[in-house]
Amino acid sequence: MEPINACVRGRGDAAVSFEHVGLSRGRTVILDDVNAHVPWCGCTAVIGPNGAGKTSLIMALLGEMPHKGLIRIGRNAAGKPLRIGLVPQRLNIDRGMPMSVLEFMCMGMQRRPLWCGMRADVRARAREFLELVRAGHLASRRIGDLSGGEMQRVLLSLALVRRPELLVLDEPSAGVDVHGERMFCCLLEELRLSQGFTQLMVSHSLGMVARHATHVIALNRSVVAEGAPAEVLTGSRMQSLFGIHMEIPVREEGER
Amino acid sequence: MDMSSLYGLASCLPFECMQASFMQRALLGLLLLAPMTAVMGVQVVNLRMAFYSDAISHSAFAGVALGLIFSIDPHLAMPALGVLVGLGIMALLRHSSLSSDTVIGVMFAAVMAFGLAVVSRSASIARNLQQFLYGDILMITDGELAGLLVLFLVLSVFQWYACNRLIYMGVHPMLARVHGVPVRVLQYCFAGLLAVVVMFSVWAVGVLLVTAMLIVPAAAARNFARSTCAMFWWALCISVTSALSGLLLSAQEWMQTATGATIILISCAWFLVSALVAHARGDRLR
Repeated sequence: MEPINACVRGRGDAAVSFEHVGLSRGRTVILDDVNAHVPWCGCTAVIGPNGAGKTSLIMALLGEMPHKGLIRIGRNAAGKPLRIGLVPQRLNIDRGMPMSVLEFMCMGMQRRPLWCGMRADVRARAREFLELVRAGHLASRRIGDLSGGEMQRVLLSLALVRRPELLVLDEPSAGVDVHGERMFCCLLEELRLSQGFTQLMVSHSLGMVARHATHVIALNRSVVAEGAPAEVLTGSRMQSLFGIHMEIPVREEGER
Repeated sequence: MDMSSLYGLASCLPFECMQASFMQRALLGLLLLAPMTAVMGVQVVNLRMAFYSDAISHSAFAGVALGLIFSIDPHLAMPALGVLVGLGIMALLRHSSLSSDTVIGVMFAAVMAFGLAVVSRSASIARNLQQFLYGDILMITDGELAGLLVLFLVLSVFQWYACNRLIYMGVHPMLARVHGVPVRVLQYCFAGLLAVVVMFSVWAVGVLLVTAMLIVPAAAARNFARSTCAMFWWALCISVTSALSGLLLSAQEWMQTATGATIILISCAWFLVSALVAHARGDRLR
């Protein structure tokens, strides 16, 4: 698979800007005057305790939740809104669903109904996308038989089919062990650099954020802090955000 | 629409009962209806809309009742109300924070109670309702067959365009929308078309068994199939063979059972076999 290009900064100051975003459900305020931005080409992580509104912020960005304020999605070099790829936390399928991984990939790549079979060229392209996430060997497996880590890579591969300019991930490390999480994050970083997308993810895993994020938004209904991981992931800030003291080793600039 | 050549083909089958014109019409009707319920059934299972189709089928009573009040042919009033109720449920689902089974349950109760209230005012109407309860494919007319043919063509075009996108929606609606699938339009189109298919199925197998006609072949196909492609073909095979053998068996002198019930019994037998096959394959362990 050819790399798309090195990340191209589109028009506007940031890939995504949240300006005075507010969101409530009934009388419960979920987000209050959120102002933050997602820089071009980097890996931005949204962190915060449970109920901080992280997933709601992503939902608002994706147009799934009505909100106050403005969410500006940047435009690419051609002046069109960024193509978004999404990696959800989990799927709605039951484990007995008879669907192969290859069919799962092809459903978004060909108009011809799956009951007429998969086109040979689409099948080959789907395999290439699976290879990109080192999941080529899973092509003939049933989607319900995949482990959490395998499913995550297949979902990432499905998102890459869109050739995303902005990749949004909701809790990519949920339900995956430490080794799986580390592998997935290294893969994401590699793909971000080779495929040239801007990455925005919600994460509970602060170790992963410290190691892989280039920009962090600490959220607790409104933005508590925003900036480089070394500035945001400080012991005192973690204490105020999560209520416990944590020292998180942050990767130095340029270290892999 | 001239159907005589098709009836001629049906009369060539080596069964004495197929010489009767009502049997030929019923055969043609089932040959059109069974593939539609098979394909829609697979989608209904994937989109978890079984309860939705049950609610639509039960709006048949209200459709008949409205038809009688406004002097409209029940065969027109039923699908029209079915589509209205279907689109209404979909709109409520999209704009309500209630769970889908609660929304559908409320609509289900409302249309059912309205239908029964109107019907209960007249004993003669109540007697006519039996054909909607149990269905009667043997009474199908040329006009209804023409309607089925049009529906078959419309549904074929829709499925060609939307099949993969509907599967995408079943997997994760938000993911599908973000990745460019027009989820809202497809949800309404699918709900409307499913309502029409359900209403046609009510004539064939009756209100009580209509959901079975959609779900049972799809459920059996799920047990047999190892891929989505195979699931569609298995559902088609099970649905068509059940419909045809059900029609032929019910017409035998030693059976003399209701056609709709016989069709569903045969598809349930298919399901039993499929469950045994799945068990033997060890699917239960997954």
